[in-house]
Amino acid sequence: MTNTIASWRKTKELHKELGRVGKIVVWTRIYVAPAGFQQQVPYVVAIVAFDDKEKRTLQLVDYDEEQLTVGQKVITVIRRVGFPGKEDIITYGVKVKPV
Amino acid sequence: MNVHIAGAAVTKFGEHWTKTLIDLATDAASEAIKDAAVSLKDIEGVFVGNMLSGTLQRQEHLGAAVTSALGINKSAFKIEGACASGGLAVHLAIQSLLAGTYETVLVVGVEKMTDFPPEEISSLLMRAGSEEEREAGLTFPALYALLAKAHMQEFGTTREHMAHVAVKNHYHASLNSKAQFPFEVSIEKVLNSSKVTDPFTLLDSSPITDGAAALVLTAKKSSSKKKVSIIASTVVTDTIAISDRASLTELAATKNAAKKAFSLAGVSPKDIDIMEVHDCFTIAELLAMEDLGFCKKGEGGAYVASGATRLGGKKPVNTSGGLKACGHPVGATGVKQLVEIYDQLLGRGGKKQVTKAKVGLTQNIGGTGATAVVHILKV
Repeated sequence: MTNTIASWRKTKELHKELGRVGKIVVWTRIYVAPAGFQQQVPYVVAIVAFDDKEKRTLQLVDYDEEQLTVGQKVITVIRRVGFPGKEDIITYGVKVKPV
Repeated sequence: MNVHIAGAAVTKFGEHWTKTLIDLATDAASEAIKDAAVSLKDIEGVFVGNMLSGTLQRQEHLGAAVTSALGINKSAFKIEGACASGGLAVHLAIQSLLAGTYETVLVVGVEKMTDFPPEEISSLLMRAGSEEEREAGLTFPALYALLAKAHMQEFGTTREHMAHVAVKNHYHASLNSKAQFPFEVSIEKVLNSSKVTDPFTLLDSSPITDGAAALVLTAKKSSSKKKVSIIASTVVTDTIAISDRASLTELAATKNAAKKAFSLAGVSPKDIDIMEVHDCFTIAELLAMEDLGFCKKGEGGAYVASGATRLGGKKPVNTSGGLKACGHPVGATGVKQLVEIYDQLLGRGGKKQVTKAKVGLTQNIGGTGATAVVHILKV
């Protein structure tokens, strides 16, 4: 269940998150997903350390297998989050892809 | 602290098709009251540890729901702190006794989870994490998998090290008639069971469980020779998101709660004979051994593999079977841990009885260590 107002509040600042560069600290590949993410399995989630030292936990997309390494350089992109129900609005969030 | 346990009980952990959440809570409560040889009218306050009754059973207002089912009109509270809900309920019940508000109280930890599809439960359990972690499609196994991989990267911890936790706890559960999975597994079976999230397989993970546990706590002077006192109860929090922490190879909340508890109780790790720790995933028990001070940071894997924490070893850990094999009804777990230590200290541990245990410790975690609750018990 996605709340429209909460989604709007979040999305209007989302563009500020684009194009940040960081490195993978640790990653895992998920085979058993929670509701709303099952269509995506298997998918990779990583803890990323950005150049300003902030760490974030984000999904990794558009990667090749050999890029799944600690220290891999990544950049933030905006992507759809999970698979919403038929009555839900589509939400967007930050993910990272290798550079 | 002049607080002791007067009675304790735990329901069978597993799938209870014929019982409701309230049935489980009252079953455990009634048995604990009987065990304490007190009557319902002696209970002045009821502290209920539970995480998901509002969503799963559509029952908020759980404190009054439990007292109504018990047929008493007393003070009642629901305490929520994810998988640490039970431990927090025990902590607050103790505070009410120390404050002198009540003299005898009941703590009930309860969760009813198996009526629902696992992916729904997995998603609901993620409410214990941060918004960003939910958005990344993380699960609790995956969050602990990130901690496991960080530990493997930094200290060379292996899959086999972690598998030893599951093998040991299944062995303990095989001796516990209340356990959800009372059978043994081999290292190979753990390593080769179905993949959940890299590096964990199904057998690295605690299950979805129904169950309840209850304690009667009192500040009244006891005439019995053998009484179990609670000599420390501490709660410490940390950031809700693991990415906001300085270290990914420790749970700082466990370290800090343990430090406070040892200082309150005037004991040190060497005095602890037996423990129930929060092994929601195999890595969590390795982290607990290190963060509670039973081995050096990075040596948790070797410590567990040495057999020291197996029944018959120097410091048996999770003789109930732990969350892994006894089961993990999330609100009940933190209470069940004290029930197990209580039974062991009184010598009524059955087939899994530890010899000569005098001092025991429990460690209950909410989320990925955003809440840690530590208790120390002594006979």
